[in-house]
Amino acid sequence: MLEMRDVTFHYTDGTPVLEHMNLTIGAGEFIGLGGRNGCGKTTVTRLLMGLEKPVSGDIFLDGKRINDEEAAARSPYIGYVFQRPERQMFRPTVRQEVAYGPEQLGRNREEVASAVTAALQATGLEHLAEAYPPNLNRGEKQRVAIASAIAMHTQYLILDEPTSGQDSADKKSLMALLSRLHRDGLTILIISHDMDIFAEYCQRVIVIGHHTKAFDGTPQELFTQREDLYELGLSRPDAVTLSQAVTGLPYCKSVDEFTAAMLQRLGGK
Amino acid sequence: MKHFVPVTKLSGTIAFSFWALVLHTPGPLAALVIIELILLGFAGNIARNVKAAMSLTVFAVFLAVVQLLGGGSLESAYVTGLRMLAMTIVFIILLTTTRLQDLTAALVKQIHIPYEYAFMFTAALRFVPDFIAESRTVQEAQACRGLSTKGNILKKCIHYMGVVQPLMLKSLGRSETMALSLELRGFGNNEHSFMTNVRPAGCDYAVMALFIGLSVLVVYMRIYGIV
Repeated sequence: MLEMRDVTFHYTDGTPVLEHMNLTIGAGEFIGLGGRNGCGKTTVTRLLMGLEKPVSGDIFLDGKRINDEEAAARSPYIGYVFQRPERQMFRPTVRQEVAYGPEQLGRNREEVASAVTAALQATGLEHLAEAYPPNLNRGEKQRVAIASAIAMHTQYLILDEPTSGQDSADKKSLMALLSRLHRDGLTILIISHDMDIFAEYCQRVIVIGHHTKAFDGTPQELFTQREDLYELGLSRPDAVTLSQAVTGLPYCKSVDEFTAAMLQRLGGK
Repeated sequence: MKHFVPVTKLSGTIAFSFWALVLHTPGPLAALVIIELILLGFAGNIARNVKAAMSLTVFAVFLAVVQLLGGGSLESAYVTGLRMLAMTIVFIILLTTTRLQDLTAALVKQIHIPYEYAFMFTAALRFVPDFIAESRTVQEAQACRGLSTKGNILKKCIHYMGVVQPLMLKSLGRSETMALSLELRGFGNNEHSFMTNVRPAGCDYAVMALFIGLSVLVVYMRIYGIV
């Protein structure tokens, strides 16, 4: 379990970013992290990854305090996919790019090869194994970054707005991949402004507001019980709004669910 | 200082560098460095400038040590370090107090440097902080994949290749985008206008005259062994 206990963070000029932040990420969860632009979402993930150090408070992994561990030391168990994954790519082929992480961990050649093959299979990148990473499209680059993380056998995967700038087909395909990886046991924390992702894919949503945690619960609780969604920089997904507008219809987390519920009510299939 | 036009500050930069070259004893050079540090303090953004001045001091000490190890006297080591400091701090003052677009305008309008060269000079300066920020981001991205910056210098150099390569690719892509963007906005035209007025006023001429006078005085004092 990853845990932030009473963490406060501000920049050197004293601008507060997070104050008394408490957060737990249990093994096997699929969590969405939301909030207004500049509210501190990325800072939370950077603190978890070790790219920033808390001004006060502690970060724990399975009960062990890891405040002093650098990002490189945390990389075997926390993978991070940046918003612009091309920033990390520098090797001539996708296969070699994915191999970089396991090589840094000092694994032997056979272990690296098998980790890379498994990661390419898991992310559906076998056909692009010999491609030049900078030539790939955005969705494929995201997959390479995910493969790079899971090749290190990471337990936690943090993704910073992975679907921004992607078309709906790429978004669906990426989310299907993340769901599959989650089913295989990976813990996922995803930063997003896409409410459909929170509603459809996440088991739990954490919202940052006013420099601390403003909400922590299920997407259903968030979208049906909170009246301050707009203030928190969120909105209600269309599927939820529609399902609430029809009397007697259950909570629908996606348009597909809403369509199915309406068809059932109307006696169709 | 921000009220003076860029050409005045450029002439000040040249004057201070000239004095640093003419002076050849530690005392006057140290005084010159102190004057520059006071001016730097007035230039604003103290935290960033202190950091830059500290980095330059480290480099100046390194130069002085090299001079000493190379057979130079202790005095010549002091002079080398202080001269280097005096000639570089003045550039920080120039860059802190002058907007780059004003500097470009001054280089073109007052000094009559071709626009392309003036633009290249200021664009290169503008790229430095961006390049540093990008380098930091790439380092973080690689740290998340296990890149450790610990170890001996050889290990650090080898590891740093994982940062340099994506940085170069990114910079090339960025320069290409910038070149395209410039061409699409008429870069290469013979006629240029600038929004800001960088024409010197009376006080600018007075300060420039003061620089010339002080330069003559410094040369005179050097010839007659006063400094």
